[in-house]
Amino acid sequence: MNNDIPVLQLGPQGEVMAHAVDACVHCGFCLPACPTYALLGDEMDSPRGRIVLMKEVLEGALPLEDAAPHLDRCLGCQACVTACPSGVPYGELITSFRGWSEPQRERSPLDRAKRAAILKILPAPRVFSVAARVGQYAKPLAPLLPAALRAPMDLLPERVPAMQPSAEFTPARGKRRGRVAFLAGCAQQALTPNFNAATLRVLARNGIEVVIPEGQGCCGAAALHTGARDEALRLVRQNLGAFDPGDYDAILSNAAGCGAGLKEYPVVLHGLPDEERARAFAAKVQDVSEYLGHLLREGDLERPMPTSRPLTVAYHDACHLAHAQKIRLAPRELLRAIPGVTVAEVPEGDLCCGSAGTYNLEQPELANGLGVRKAGNILSTTPDLIASGNIGCHTQIQSHVRRQGSWVPVMHTVEVLDLAYRGEL
Amino acid sequence: MTVRRRTPEKVALNTTSPAPKPVSNGAPDNPLAAELTHLLGPKKVLSARSERLNYRYDAIQFGETPLAVVLPESTADVVVAVRAARAARVPIVGRGAASGLSGGAAPLQESLVISFTRMTGLTVFPERREARAQSGVVTLSVTEKARPHGLIYPPDPASFRTSTIGGNLGENAGGPMCFKYGVTGDYVRALEFVDEGGEVHELTRGAYDLAGLLIGSEGTLGLITEASLRLTPPPRYTRTLMASFPEVGEAAEAVSAAIAAGAVPSKLEFMDRACTNAVEDFLAIGLPRGAGAVLLVDTDGDDLETVEEERALVEAACLRAGGTVRRAATDAESAALWQARRSVSPALGRIRPQRMNEDIVVPRSVLPDVVREIRALGDASGLPVVQFGHIGDGNLHPNILFDPRRESPRAVHDLAHEIALVAIRHGGVLSGEHGIGTMKRPFMREAVDPVTLGALWSVKHALDPRGMLNPGKILPDEHGDGAHAHP
Ligand SMILES: Cc1cc2nc3c(=O)[nH]c(=O)nc-3n(C[C@H](O)[C@H](O)[C@H](O)COP(=O)(O)OP(=O)(O)OC[C@H]3O[C@@H](n4cnc5c(N)ncnc54)[C@H](O)[C@@H]3O)c2cc1C
Ligand code: SF4
Ligand code: SF4
Repeated sequence: MNNDIPVLQLGPQGEVMAHAVDACVHCGFCLPACPTYALLGDEMDSPRGRIVLMKEVLEGALPLEDAAPHLDRCLGCQACVTACPSGVPYGELITSFRGWSEPQRERSPLDRAKRAAILKILPAPRVFSVAARVGQYAKPLAPLLPAALRAPMDLLPERVPAMQPSAEFTPARGKRRGRVAFLAGCAQQALTPNFNAATLRVLARNGIEVVIPEGQGCCGAAALHTGARDEALRLVRQNLGAFDPGDYDAILSNAAGCGAGLKEYPVVLHGLPDEERARAFAAKVQDVSEYLGHLLREGDLERPMPTSRPLTVAYHDACHLAHAQKIRLAPRELLRAIPGVTVAEVPEGDLCCGSAGTYNLEQPELANGLGVRKAGNILSTTPDLIASGNIGCHTQIQSHVRRQGSWVPVMHTVEVLDLAYRGEL
Repeated sequence: MTVRRRTPEKVALNTTSPAPKPVSNGAPDNPLAAELTHLLGPKKVLSARSERLNYRYDAIQFGETPLAVVLPESTADVVVAVRAARAARVPIVGRGAASGLSGGAAPLQESLVISFTRMTGLTVFPERREARAQSGVVTLSVTEKARPHGLIYPPDPASFRTSTIGGNLGENAGGPMCFKYGVTGDYVRALEFVDEGGEVHELTRGAYDLAGLLIGSEGTLGLITEASLRLTPPPRYTRTLMASFPEVGEAAEAVSAAIAAGAVPSKLEFMDRACTNAVEDFLAIGLPRGAGAVLLVDTDGDDLETVEEERALVEAACLRAGGTVRRAATDAESAALWQARRSVSPALGRIRPQRMNEDIVVPRSVLPDVVREIRALGDASGLPVVQFGHIGDGNLHPNILFDPRRESPRAVHDLAHEIALVAIRHGGVLSGEHGIGTMKRPFMREAVDPVTLGALWSVKHALDPRGMLNPGKILPDEHGDGAHAHP
């Protein structure tokens, strides 16, 4: 798309943004992929429309506050990136744009406080655990609260489990095949500690030793995608310090959002001193399903035990796995490797579930609309089990599936594998 | 002629509103926007500039920011909008998904844009093999909804996941399937439209084929609100093959030979080397990057033997013309090949950000000469020129790719003109399926004789006496050279 974006005035991220705008030929192929377009049916809330809005703001032709409502509705799910034949890096555009524009946003003090609180609580597992428990006890009060506070409470599980910090080192069992570093994650440690426990067990059983390097922090994705660029840069640098890519065969994450965040480090540091190091780091990052998928294809994955009865597993593609990281096949292959499991494809599978980071807090109505639609689509496959690879999707889907009256278990892909190894499926 | 007047109160078939629609940011800065907001409410009328400026483009060009945008949910809403625009003397531009490639949905002046994306009512009547669709229905969803009843809707523009039935009717869209099965217009049994005065009409195809006149009129004669579409059972068997050739002309020779030998493939598409490579960058499915041109062919029918026989005929013709043939072994493989073909056009964005898109049709007998002449023109011009298209119909899309910061728009325009002249010189026409819009309007006087042009103007005057419907599209200025439109 023709543009007059003043690249030089915008710094290194300006280049990233202008390149993305340039590459868009406004063909509209991305429209049907976009969840907000599917719900609202207007051009401003479509990827193509948002690209034009960002272009206008960057050119100085449109005030930021006029474009903001539509840009705020973007989930960052990157379904549009998968759909775009022209190769427009929309994810890089919106992230860079949010980082550039956030300092200029006029926000009410309450709004600012809320955002600051989210960014403080979410990445700190212990704080989150306490907050979640407070939230849990406050649940009966929910109807009295404003919608923005009610939404996150609805997502809390019935019982917030106790924190179980993972060991810093997990040795391989049997023949040692590899050594990986693991990003322990934030909110997930508090809400679903079994994700990490199961991941460590499955890796160890397959001969992989796992290190959880000290000094690691939040991946920074939440900060980055809400436009808190300085905070994001701090976290990125902290992790680049904590993980030495030379020490490990791979750096693993079991949360799609975090994995995508880690893979984004070179873009975040584009034009800054640590760019090269970020590149070396990102080259090592893999999602746990991607890593196990390699083992499977090499014939190195230990064979899971058959299920006690035939099981239909509805696999939900997390946006940050399927669209941001392009990982679709590996989790399905892992599930299919369990004798007795059939993987069901979810209708409208490419449409985001509406969770997307802080979206539930910022856009509760749209998030809810998408959650309802996703749960309905998943349940239409009459699954015995629902699997996905992301904590955000997990809580969103679990809460909406329950609200539609179903008690079918919702699990992480590695949890399913872990149960199969133990013969408990 | 069956023109039946209807009351404007007629409601939508079923309006889908899955989530609370946001209210327009508002602040109308002109009387029309204010009046429409008053009449239809802020959920159906966009009046803030940030909202309106997203309704000034289609997939090929940017136009003027409209004064207001209406997102109707029923025919009645359209009537209200048309009457208000008429009272305010503001021109009206209809818009579907804005995937058009000739500038049709881009307003050339301050206008009211009526965008049909929320009119998505769709009902299938399997017993009479028919679907009734509101104009905002996405093309592909007609087949999706009909398939459980053992039926499909064949017209399949490459944009069928995005484009709307209204836009398809506006452009009389075609697609790969159209070689054997026909274009959009061949599947329309009846349609409902709102005229320039805000009256609702229901047209069938009897007597004067007024519906046929509306089809392909690019929103210049009326606004289509609903259509009854013919559905057909899908063929029981389909076989796909891909053939690659060292040189473009050879691919065209193979096409002529295959058809001369009596094959009637259901799809017969071609893409040249630049296209193949751009798509391979996107999909990485193993297309032959080195080939000068690739043909994609489907043969289909209810009798497997005939289908295989036809594929063999095409295969033989390809081999004789110097090609290499690969048969798609599975459904997944052929689906991937067809997705590749559908992605050609936008994938070209990877080469240059801007393009001038031609849409010529020539007799099949001259195809080899035409593709070679265009190849030569491109090579001589120094601009990247690529070719693809529904070659079975003689429908070619030579595209001139350019970067406006590096390459002169004048040179691009001149080259486009030369390419158009190649088609006309070989007995071809200017537009196969993408319409005239603003892109090919400057060439209309060369393509259509003055008497015929006069007849077209008479039709326009009869249906749109004040010239309020999508002005500046298709027809050149009545008393001028009509060459004002810019690429
Ligand atoms: C990548 C790509 C591939 C394409 N491939 C093909 C192809 O294979 N075959 C093909 O034929 N086209 C193709 N096109 C062009 C385009 O998709 C078609 O012309 C399509 O029919 C346009 O539909 P739309 O809903 O996007 O309409 P728009 O672009 O919004 O509008 C098209 C025209 O119709 C008018 N219009 C829209 N709705 C109405 C209505 N309800 N009543 C009256 N007038 C109306 C508009 O004013 C405009 O003049 C392609 C486009 C792209 C971007
Ligand atoms: S698909 Fe890509 S090129 Fe086309 S409009 Fe969307 S972002 Fe732009
Ligand atoms: S990231 Fe998701 S929500 Fe945002 S524009 Fe792309 S498809 Fe739409």
